[in-house]
Amino acid sequence: MAKNTAASRRRKTIWINVSFQSAAFVLALLLTTVMLLAVGAPPFQAYRSILVGAFGSVGDIFDTLIAWAPLLLTTMGVLITFSAGLWNIGIEGQVTLGAIFTTWILRLLQESGLPPWLIIVLGILAGIVGGALWASLAGVLKTFGGVNEIFGGLGLNFVATALTLWLIFGPWKRPGTGSMSGTLPFPEELWLPAIPGFRLSPWALVLSFIAVVVVYFLLRGTHFGLRLKAVGKNMRAAYLLGVPTWQHMLASFLLCGVFAGLAGALQVTAVYHRLIPSISSNYGFTGLLVAMLVNFHALWAVPVALFFAALNIGSVHLPIVLKLDSSLSGVLQGLLVLLVLMVEGARQRLMSRKIIPAEPASGEEVQS
Amino acid sequence: MDVELRDIHKTFGKVRANVGIRLHVPAGTIQGILGENGAGKSTLMKVLSGFIHADQGAILLDGRPVVIHSPADAIRAGIGMLHQDPLDFPPMRVIDNFVMARGGSLFPGRAAARRDLKKLAAQFGFALDPDAYVDSLTVGERQQLEIVRLLWLGARVLIFDEPTTGISAAQKERLFAALRLLADQDKTVLFVSHKLEDVEGLCDRVVVLRQGYLVGEARPPYTTRQLVEMMFGKAISIGKRVPCAVGETSLRLRNLSVEDYRLKVRGVNLAVRAGEVIGLAGMEGSGQGLFMRAVAGLLRTTGGRISLDGRNLTGRSHLVSKRHGVAFLPASRLEEGLVPGLDLTEHFVLAEKKGGFFIDWEGGRALAEERIAEFNIRGTPASHVEALSGGNQQRALLALLRVSLRLLLLEHPTRGLDIESTIYIWSKLKERCGQGTSILFVSSDLEEILQYSDRVLVFFNGRVSPPLEAAEMNTDRLGELIGGKGWPEEEWVEEMTADG
Amino acid sequence: MRNTLFRFALLALVSVMLLTACGQATAVPTEAVVEPETTEPEVVEPEATEPPEAEEFVFGMLMVGPYNDHGWSQAHYDAGLYVEENLPGARMIYVDKVNPADRPGTTPAQLAEDLVAQGAQLVIFNSDDMKDSATEFAQANPDVYVIMASGDQVWADGNAYIPMDNMVNIMGRMEYGKMIAGCAAALTTQTGQIGYLGPLINDETRRLAASAYLGAEYCWTEYLGNDPADLVFKVTWIGFWFNIPGVTADPTQVADDFFNTGFDVVISGIDTTEALTEAVRLRDAGQEVWAIPYDYEGACEGADSVCLGVPYFNWGPAYLETIMAARDGTYASNFQWNAPDWADINNPDTSAVGFLSGPALGGEAAGLLDQFIAELAGGLNLWTGPINLQDGAPYLADGEVATDLQVWYLPQLLEGMEGQSVSE
Repeated sequence: MAKNTAASRRRKTIWINVSFQSAAFVLALLLTTVMLLAVGAPPFQAYRSILVGAFGSVGDIFDTLIAWAPLLLTTMGVLITFSAGLWNIGIEGQVTLGAIFTTWILRLLQESGLPPWLIIVLGILAGIVGGALWASLAGVLKTFGGVNEIFGGLGLNFVATALTLWLIFGPWKRPGTGSMSGTLPFPEELWLPAIPGFRLSPWALVLSFIAVVVVYFLLRGTHFGLRLKAVGKNMRAAYLLGVPTWQHMLASFLLCGVFAGLAGALQVTAVYHRLIPSISSNYGFTGLLVAMLVNFHALWAVPVALFFAALNIGSVHLPIVLKLDSSLSGVLQGLLVLLVLMVEGARQRLMSRKIIPAEPASGEEVQS
Repeated sequence: MDVELRDIHKTFGKVRANVGIRLHVPAGTIQGILGENGAGKSTLMKVLSGFIHADQGAILLDGRPVVIHSPADAIRAGIGMLHQDPLDFPPMRVIDNFVMARGGSLFPGRAAARRDLKKLAAQFGFALDPDAYVDSLTVGERQQLEIVRLLWLGARVLIFDEPTTGISAAQKERLFAALRLLADQDKTVLFVSHKLEDVEGLCDRVVVLRQGYLVGEARPPYTTRQLVEMMFGKAISIGKRVPCAVGETSLRLRNLSVEDYRLKVRGVNLAVRAGEVIGLAGMEGSGQGLFMRAVAGLLRTTGGRISLDGRNLTGRSHLVSKRHGVAFLPASRLEEGLVPGLDLTEHFVLAEKKGGFFIDWEGGRALAEERIAEFNIRGTPASHVEALSGGNQQRALLALLRVSLRLLLLEHPTRGLDIESTIYIWSKLKERCGQGTSILFVSSDLEEILQYSDRVLVFFNGRVSPPLEAAEMNTDRLGELIGGKGWPEEEWVEEMTADG
Repeated sequence: MRNTLFRFALLALVSVMLLTACGQATAVPTEAVVEPETTEPEVVEPEATEPPEAEEFVFGMLMVGPYNDHGWSQAHYDAGLYVEENLPGARMIYVDKVNPADRPGTTPAQLAEDLVAQGAQLVIFNSDDMKDSATEFAQANPDVYVIMASGDQVWADGNAYIPMDNMVNIMGRMEYGKMIAGCAAALTTQTGQIGYLGPLINDETRRLAASAYLGAEYCWTEYLGNDPADLVFKVTWIGFWFNIPGVTADPTQVADDFFNTGFDVVISGIDTTEALTEAVRLRDAGQEVWAIPYDYEGACEGADSVCLGVPYFNWGPAYLETIMAARDGTYASNFQWNAPDWADINNPDTSAVGFLSGPALGGEAAGLLDQFIAELAGGLNLWTGPINLQDGAPYLADGEVATDLQVWYLPQLLEGMEGQSVSE
């Protein structure tokens, strides 16, 4: 009986949450509309052209999916560090390092005569290692150096970008002029196979889905995930409860780096087929936004990341069709996150008034 | 100021926190408000001070009805409340905290404020340094700051919520003197407590709340039995001292030293036998906290040796000592002991540490249910720990302990709990002693120390007494030692190494 | 609640980083939206009401930055408007901020396809960033004309030649603009120390920095009669075309360092105007300093007290010519490296590169600068030996004139210049 009411209460809370979040979404849309009207642009057409841009044709849908896969990966990575109470801002650099490692291995092996699929696999593995290494650097700085992961991460992002530029204009310079266009593209057999006639590689999607499943179960059903949560919510108590805290923090960085590195590897093998200056495509930061929106729920990241990817891809049509600035999609994303957080704050306030009595559990502790 | 509460009702969901409460307190009175945890005292006071809005009822000040929607309204009306946890800003100076709440002009008149602060403090005999940082103050000093601040803001009704929790005996005396002075100045003092002795010693009159109802009133001379009956609806006695049968020496400390930036504890020698209970007495911050944490492996020692059952644990982390049967229960339950945001099942799964990669949630829930029943915790496996009351949190902490332990270290195990919970918790602890677990506990409650300890260590400013037989002590002697009186000039050497 | 607050703060931080990562993208956020006529996109453009024989020709443009960045991209955008104005029936469609940070998951080739889907018959790729994509796109769409600005793919003599019938490379000979800028700096400096605020190091930026130095050295010695050894010319690279906080060196800081260590003129090689802004600030504080911006004709605006002039690109005439050729069916793949129109380097219809003198240029210096421009027009070639590379290795023997290849692929800075030659 007790269990049933608890379950129904939980279900009720979920629905309350969902309705609050939808309210935030509607509000964000409304505000964006007001902004569009204020500058004299037709909002309906703007939204339509974003939709058409993202889903108008098979090619458009695939393009959206191309952006979706790495975004899912970074979101999953960030969710792990979130759970441990860490703000892994350094994820951008971790994606970048993944890309660099992948490029490195592909360059090293492309003349080796090994079968191309093996080179690709090795390249992706190297990317994972690269991301994990870079992340563990931030983790070591945090756990042993006492450097806040936000600052450490920012610093490491900086180094990663500088390293990319140096490689592109230095040692890995293409013949002729070193170019912002990146290193020389890899031969087509070293590309992760794409759906014929399109740019989308189903492998990238498959890997991302695996990541979602893994993270979902990791955070939900494993001792490791529960301990991460405990460390994230109260490190001292977690320690007293027997959780080796710094080890878990480091491990969360490492795992996040694995997913970030994989995202970077896919950027190289599936999307750009070379190393370019901003190879991370801001997926790390966008992943942080998605993670903030979904608040630890790995499965929710799937639609939210898709929505963000669609906004990014669809907004391309704004300047072409409407001569509208495409930063509209960014505005919408930013507003969305802001409003969801605000609404969440409001919800907590309202709910705390209702549920948590001012005197903790008044009356609950009657004589026993 | 004359305060009248008329027919106050407040419910939280299904819980009726206040039911039709009527209370009239004339100016110049110290009104005691007594009741066990959860009786509705704090709710009533929060209604009066604007933190909570009553569902029904009226508040009259000097006979005029007032509407109070926020703490700011309350202070404007002359009502100020001191919370159990002072609502100050630790990283700031005393003077900054002092002027903080005063709105009005952009630039606080700091010089004038400083004068006022000093004058007010002197009036009550408080030694408050305006330039000290608040986080360097003791709980008692923070209370003092809060009192003068509220007076400065014009409070004529002062509400004290459990003010004697966590302060030293000397500070308590000073506090009581201050409260009497306030009453003499015709201020109204509402004194909320569940401690009979405090109420008996201080209040001009007492009301008792139970389960949301105001169940009785009393005037001096009070009889303890009558108050207890009103609080609990039945008479309760603490019971006789029960010494445990003790066994072989389990914990042995040799020349243990530990220090932090402001305090050094040097050369402690102690041998604790299995099943023995050692009480650590002393004013807060006298070194007992450092000592406990050093023994737990949470603080690095600066010298000496810790061994448990012949195993050297010196310099080993808490995770290692935990494996060898040591457990530490911190005083701040939600800050250090439990993980807010996780439910009870998750806590039991965490603490139990079974093998395997995936969690057996069914097993976890079953375990949680079993322990919840065993420890009489008011909650379900899905209850989040922060939603539990203090007493239930403490029970949960005990329930989380592993089945067999060699050494249990507790900080203020019953702080903030009512008598019943206290008795329950100690019965559980004594059960452990019977199973051969040694217990070291810190408490500021001298009665508790003498009641439950076999031997006592007294801490004063980093100095540590040799273990004293609790049966041969009394509160007066203990109080003197805690206050730094009666310590020999030389190091205390009597029977330092009791049996080894 | 606290947690939410914290999340809020973090969100702000992340957003700031997202925005700054977009760099220039946010430089002019207030103007971020639309021209007035754009609210009714379906309406036929006025050009179409002109004589019926003006058949519509749609060309697409991919710009690396925002179309209104007051820099590189806007120069291209303005050129597109110039084409629309001068070629009846021509209509431009564009996508701006074409870079992976602003448009994650997209490639320029993919965006070019979007443009084609919207009717573009010719696509302009405006940045070196898009080099590979331009190649990929041109090869995949042989029936679409491609202009790749600043590229060298179809330069038969170039180091990375890829024959493509449908591609034209266009670049202005900014070397001249930079020489004039260097000369203006040398004629103005009181301390004999000139700073060059460089972006990242590649062949293009190296040769432009070297050109500025050649111009400065020439005017310093020939016009002012000074010892070349007394001229200090230092290049500091910030690492990118514009400031990315936390990633590049801060150009404001670099300019400030220049000005505070005796360098009184700073020539900017980057796309944004920090050097100018910083000079104005110091000038207002009483320091005698000057600066020279880059890229965009209007860059001096609002900095009258310090701006010695600006070397700028004028892509319009070349675009017009190529697009006309495409429309008329006379299009042929070629590599253009267009010199200024020496008759009038600031002629918007003929000159690919210009230099607009600034109000802070002294009267005497202005006269000498005109003389220098006239000499260049008369055939003066500063890329004439003897010139050594920075490490002392001979680059041009006495009297030897550099070939286009030697200039385009300049391997190092020149002897006499301070600063890094290659990225390391």
